[in-house]
Amino acid sequence: MSLIELAQPNQGYSYAFLDAFAKRELRRRILKGIAIPGYQVPYASRELPIARGWGTGGLQVTLSLVGPDDTVKVIDQGADDSVNAANLRRFITRMSGAETTTDANQATIIQSRHRITEEILREGQTLVLQVPNPEPLRRVEPDMAKARILHADADYGQMWLVLYEQLVRFGRYIQGASYPVMVHERFVMAPSPIPRWDTPDLHQSAHLTLLSAGREKRLYAVPPYTNVYPLEFTDVPFEVEDQSEWACRTTGERNKFMNELPQDDGSSVFELSDTGYMEKLVNHQRGEDVTIGTTYYDSEGQFYHDGYLKPRRSRQESPDA
Amino acid sequence: MTDTSNPGAVVKSHPMLDAPIINRVPPLVVARNLTKYYGSIKAVDGVDVIAYPGEILGIVGESGSGKSTVLRLLNLEEPANGGVYHLQINSLANTNLFDLDRFDKRDVRVHHIGIVYQNPHLGLRMRYSASGNVAERLLITGERTFGTLRSKSNASLQASEFPIDRVDDPPSVLSGGMQQRVQLAKAIALQPELLLLDEPTTGLDVSIQATVLDTLKRIQRLRTITMILVSHDLGVIRTLADRVMVMRNGRVVEQGLTDQILEDPQDPYTQQLVHAKL
Amino acid sequence: MAYVATKGGEKAIQESEKLYHQLKKPVTPEFVQEIMDTMPYLVDRVMGEGSLYAPELAALALAQSGGDLYEAVLLLRAYRSTQPRLAYAKPITVDDMLTLRRISAAFKDIPGGQVLGPSLDYSHRILDLNILDGIAASEDDEDTQVEAAEKPAATRYPLVADWLRQQGMIAAIDVPEEIDAADIPDVTRDPVMMPAPRAHRLQALARADTGGVLALGYASMRGYGFIHPTVNELRLAYADVQVKHPVTGEPFSAGRVRVSQAEVVTKGKSTYKIGFTATMGWNEVKLIAGATLDMEMSQADPHPALNEDFVLYHTEPIESSGFCIHFKLPHYVTFSSGMDNMRKVINVLYGAAAAGKDADDREVEAEESKTSEVVTKDTM
Repeated sequence: MSLIELAQPNQGYSYAFLDAFAKRELRRRILKGIAIPGYQVPYASRELPIARGWGTGGLQVTLSLVGPDDTVKVIDQGADDSVNAANLRRFITRMSGAETTTDANQATIIQSRHRITEEILREGQTLVLQVPNPEPLRRVEPDMAKARILHADADYGQMWLVLYEQLVRFGRYIQGASYPVMVHERFVMAPSPIPRWDTPDLHQSAHLTLLSAGREKRLYAVPPYTNVYPLEFTDVPFEVEDQSEWACRTTGERNKFMNELPQDDGSSVFELSDTGYMEKLVNHQRGEDVTIGTTYYDSEGQFYHDGYLKPRRSRQESPDA
Repeated sequence: MTDTSNPGAVVKSHPMLDAPIINRVPPLVVARNLTKYYGSIKAVDGVDVIAYPGEILGIVGESGSGKSTVLRLLNLEEPANGGVYHLQINSLANTNLFDLDRFDKRDVRVHHIGIVYQNPHLGLRMRYSASGNVAERLLITGERTFGTLRSKSNASLQASEFPIDRVDDPPSVLSGGMQQRVQLAKAIALQPELLLLDEPTTGLDVSIQATVLDTLKRIQRLRTITMILVSHDLGVIRTLADRVMVMRNGRVVEQGLTDQILEDPQDPYTQQLVHAKL
Repeated sequence: MAYVATKGGEKAIQESEKLYHQLKKPVTPEFVQEIMDTMPYLVDRVMGEGSLYAPELAALALAQSGGDLYEAVLLLRAYRSTQPRLAYAKPITVDDMLTLRRISAAFKDIPGGQVLGPSLDYSHRILDLNILDGIAASEDDEDTQVEAAEKPAATRYPLVADWLRQQGMIAAIDVPEEIDAADIPDVTRDPVMMPAPRAHRLQALARADTGGVLALGYASMRGYGFIHPTVNELRLAYADVQVKHPVTGEPFSAGRVRVSQAEVVTKGKSTYKIGFTATMGWNEVKLIAGATLDMEMSQADPHPALNEDFVLYHTEPIESSGFCIHFKLPHYVTFSSGMDNMRKVINVLYGAAAAGKDADDREVEAEESKTSEVVTKDTM
């Protein structure tokens, strides 16, 4: 009898790809993350059959949570059918047998890169955000051991200094996406590179947000109904992207996050970034029976938590005055 | 650098009009038996440092004498191997600062101690603006109003006689003298009781050095601030210090009023130092 | 828009993958076998970086990825993630290895002797064009056959480092009598925290990107580091993988693997300091560069590019290559978020007119280069 005969034949993969040991570790880390909002929990981070930096962190979290009864929505830049989102969705369904949807209301798990849906997520839904760089302090302290000490001390002076410098030089905050936020009055957190438009959605949200960086091996969470505030000086308010003049070329919708599409003649046209939402609007306009959920921003651009976003400063008003 | 910038604007009283404070009050700094080893080397070997409110205490000695180490110990930058260190400040009066945990030490450093290093890279973020460097001190204390940060940091830079039209330039493009003024502005931004100066003008042109020393003198006159000045340069010590300690091999070999020590040194080592200078 | 088509993305990626494979010959079992037989060093490298000793799978990975090394390593790593851990092999020392090559640059001769073993070190690097013409040397040709030495070489050799230890030239180490393999920290199962446990550091080096380790190791050797490595010992060997029988508990050999290791030394204050790297497969460049880095990382204040955090994070082949190619992914949401700011900044700095086409490009660029200091990367 040889070893080959004794060995088991080549097997297929475990349910949802990860072995039970890996899933258990991830779930424990996720629970820890939920228990300490905004705290980066280190985890081993398994290699997956997609390249590192392509959503392996989000994917591990999704795979450790998904079951056959789940309905999964995967988006990249707001689009369900971008090649990367399609690829991740194909892998998740192949490995878990879960249903997929493009409708944010129907999904139990939404894995996303760089966007939150326009429709307000509800209790029981889980948003999994893919994170390239989990460390908001990386810009001021690239050494991870030192950055951990700064977090432990809640020593965020340098983060504020970066904002101060921006105001001195440009008269405004110029951090684009991944705007740093204070979570639960304790940890400064990188909300993943979502646009500023989406940042307020994390505040006192009904849904659970899990953020996971596979390459950097850190995951963190914003539990439901947790305070999340962008870092802003008391006299210079944080502002979301100003797209109030833009209307979607397909639906005519305004005051939602838009893609700007440059045209040959130097002008631009605009289109909703959230393709699942756009699809529903189009179907609705065609007279089909679709349920469109309430959105974070109403048609006038008002955010659903009154007073959370301070009024936009006029363009000429300089904080230095 | 002239005295037209009205640095007195941020000062509440003019103690220079009163009788010398040194006669009336207990010392601000009481550090006894400071000891620091590096491996088998005794860098500081049982040094006492006493400094009164509003005075400038000079520490002089050649490199390796332990004078900069004393300053780092007083700045709570590194742990001492022995000794006690008190600052006569209401909330801290009975506390040996060496016994504090690192959070409380940091708190003391933020609120009560300022420092200017010889090497501006140690004290400044070279790529942030001068005003940002000063504002960082205020940010640490929780100030979150941009307008206040801006006006307070500018006031502190002004008090350091830093040219107001350059407050948004980063130290990397400033001259050595101006870099030291930014460090100084940062050090005094929170109105600390104690200002530590580690060779603050070494390496500057003589003329620039004189104007920086002028500024230091003026700040000392206008604010009740105690300065401890480390220098190997007897000229600097003579210009600024009220009293002086001479250090060699980690010990104090002689101390007294500056004029007394420099005119009539008793210790052979001090005699040699003074002689070398002349 | 084709690349983020609102419909059809799934179809597009399937066809794209097909086209990739269509541009090369299909993979056959014979070809996989051929790779194993003819390119053992390439297979070694993929197994080392893939941290899975499976020559057949490594060869398959190479064939399937068309020879793209990072893809091949990723295939192997991803497969490895799915495998359960059935047993821990018994930790071994050099005495348990069958050594084929073992050299020292520190001494002319060493106890046990210098054993050259298999090496191309002293070959003339001349392409054998005859092979292309079908005039290959025959296997029976005497010139190609290794001539056996009069005396067979030993199979076990003492460590040169042990001799130095006896001389008191290297600090002695505590070797525990018994090591439970399950107690050794495992970089594939624990998050790495800096400073890394020694086991994590050595494991990370063992599976690090050869090119990355070489680049940083070379930087250290060339003068950006603070030490000069001397190769105290380099060895290529076979090692038995000893595991306990699940029923009887008796140890048995589950197979034999190619392993290699190197020790380099440099002068410390009162003794020599030693750096070490070992890896699966035979990969000498990585060993010497890795051992040099091990030593460099242990310095009190190494060059910033040679500190542990820097070296270990940036030589991870899957993370670095994956992140590099991820920049091919669309980033238009983050770009747009940044552009919103840029428009307003231009407005403030140059007035509304400049926001149009009349903007003086040079001025804007100058301002942008200033911006880079305070703007952080928000578009990843």
